[in-house]
Amino acid sequence: MRFERNGLLGFLALAALVPFVVHDQYVLHIAIMVLFYAVLATSLNLVVGYVGEFSLGHTAFLGTGAYAAAILSTQHGWPMWLTVPVAGVLAAVMGALIGAITLRLQGPFFVIVTLSFAEVLRLVADNWIGLTNGPMGIAGVPQPAMLADAGNLAGKHFYYAVAWALLAVSLYLSYRFVHSNAGRAAVAIRENRYVAQSIGVRPLTYSMLALVLGAFLSGMAGGFYAHYISFVGPEMFRFAFMVSMIIMVLIGGKGTLLGPLIGALLVTFLEEYLREAKELRLSIFGLAVIAIVLFLPQGLMGFAGRRRERRLAASGGASGAPGASDPPAAPRAGQAAPTPAGRLA
Amino acid sequence: MDLLLQYLANGLVTGSFYALSALGLTLILGLMRVVNFAHGELYMLGGVMGWWATTRLGLDFFTGLLLVAVVMGAFGWLVDRFLIERIRDQGEEAGILLTIGLSIFLANTALLAVGTAPLKVEAPIAASPAFFGPIVLTKLRLFAVAVCALLIVASWLTIHKTRLGRAMRATFQDPMAARLVGIRTANVYAATFAMGTVIASMAGMLLGSIYSAQVSVGGLVSMKAFVVVILGGMGSFAGAIAGGLLLGVAEALWGGYVATGWVDIIGFALVILTLVFRPYGLFSRSAERA
Repeated sequence: MRFERNGLLGFLALAALVPFVVHDQYVLHIAIMVLFYAVLATSLNLVVGYVGEFSLGHTAFLGTGAYAAAILSTQHGWPMWLTVPVAGVLAAVMGALIGAITLRLQGPFFVIVTLSFAEVLRLVADNWIGLTNGPMGIAGVPQPAMLADAGNLAGKHFYYAVAWALLAVSLYLSYRFVHSNAGRAAVAIRENRYVAQSIGVRPLTYSMLALVLGAFLSGMAGGFYAHYISFVGPEMFRFAFMVSMIIMVLIGGKGTLLGPLIGALLVTFLEEYLREAKELRLSIFGLAVIAIVLFLPQGLMGFAGRRRERRLAASGGASGAPGASDPPAAPRAGQAAPTPAGRLA
Repeated sequence: MDLLLQYLANGLVTGSFYALSALGLTLILGLMRVVNFAHGELYMLGGVMGWWATTRLGLDFFTGLLLVAVVMGAFGWLVDRFLIERIRDQGEEAGILLTIGLSIFLANTALLAVGTAPLKVEAPIAASPAFFGPIVLTKLRLFAVAVCALLIVASWLTIHKTRLGRAMRATFQDPMAARLVGIRTANVYAATFAMGTVIASMAGMLLGSIYSAQVSVGGLVSMKAFVVVILGGMGSFAGAIAGGLLLGVAEALWGGYVATGWVDIIGFALVILTLVFRPYGLFSRSAERA
């Protein structure tokens, strides 16, 4: 727990230093995307990692947030500091609606029905031309007024600061959730739904809480994205976004708060770096996904956790008890164990 | 009235195509419990290989179909033995990811190989129209429906009447007991996956002769196949057929009378309703699979 908190604080502190060192717009853009994806991956991880249900419909919330921010600011002239939180709230409402239906299902049914919801929303965005401007999307989402006469670099710095603040809020909320009674209840459901139920933990309540929180965070990320890119189209709901999010969560290690951050960092840079390989890029990406599933099923954090555990066990065996009961090892051990949730569902 | 009949006929034709493209998935998802997101890509590979066999190799349609079936069967077998085998007991999640990775890889590698252009598979018969009273259908479509029916019957017979089929059913009821009585379950799993792959790729080639084979079609096919499988209930042959026909007719009527742009939403709406009210499919009586 302490290791996790220090890790998160360290990541945020390092991220806060970036704009003081980096003055290159391209690098700053990548850094902003890393933060944006870190928020998304963190929000998805709440559902995938802590409730243990595999949601493929997370783009529903991202897209809802992005469209909400775009419509509110272009048609109603709301300022950015208002649209982004409202986008989060609207996405959370959407999360509650979708969750009320989908969270009653488990396993492959949950996967497919969440995916269906995202597809339905994409079709709505594509066809409800009066509201969303259809396949053309909504262009020219306004930038905050204060950026009007500032340069491009200052704009990038501003957006970096906003993204950083969003990530800080996301990590704070997720941390509080995960280490609260509600978070522990969610983990209990993930580990064994029936045992959790038998001791009075209601699966629907806690998985709903995690889903709504995740939806809120990704809705805000969507709102941010709408302003930053200043264009929103139906492709926000596309499966491609979903794939990036999943890969980030899984490379980093689901069910850990640090994992998605590492995943976001790694995947965003990898995608940028592999751009050189152009057409081959996505093929390599596919192979990478397969390799992760086969060789690193618990992600990098799970891998690190296992090594740490083994080292502690080895040193504990040699010098007596104290090393083995080191507090950070305990939660790691729980996470490194393969989750039986999939088999039970 | 005539228009309604025409819509119904179109819906039934499209529906039987849906049924065939979902059949491979119902085997893999319903029996093996692998949520196969690469299903659409297997279908796509069938179409692309069919194009290659009929136009580049100059084979006729049926020899091409046989070639596609053999090659894709071997491919499916290898995928199962080398990839899916290793994550067999890790729940759905690993399977979902693995097949997503596989689908990204296959789609983009195929894109590198043949490009984005639609590819025409040489059809075995001409696309001239046939008239049944007020209804017009092309002969090619009727032929395809017949092949669909043939393939569906052949797979049903394989599952229910052959030794391999019996081994499959035993394995999916209780792998441990099946092993105890001497069934090589690893081979049975591989054979099931290979069979699903063969059906998917044959569907891809057959429908590639009517529409066209296209590299980017995979995602759409996967989604439609999931819809059909959920509607019909996992692992049920009759369910896949009924689900396919239902989807086809519903889409045709909706497209004809309400709005063409929203056609794709029908399937997803049906899936959501089905899963909420009858999660084991519209037609399954028991809640638990065998």
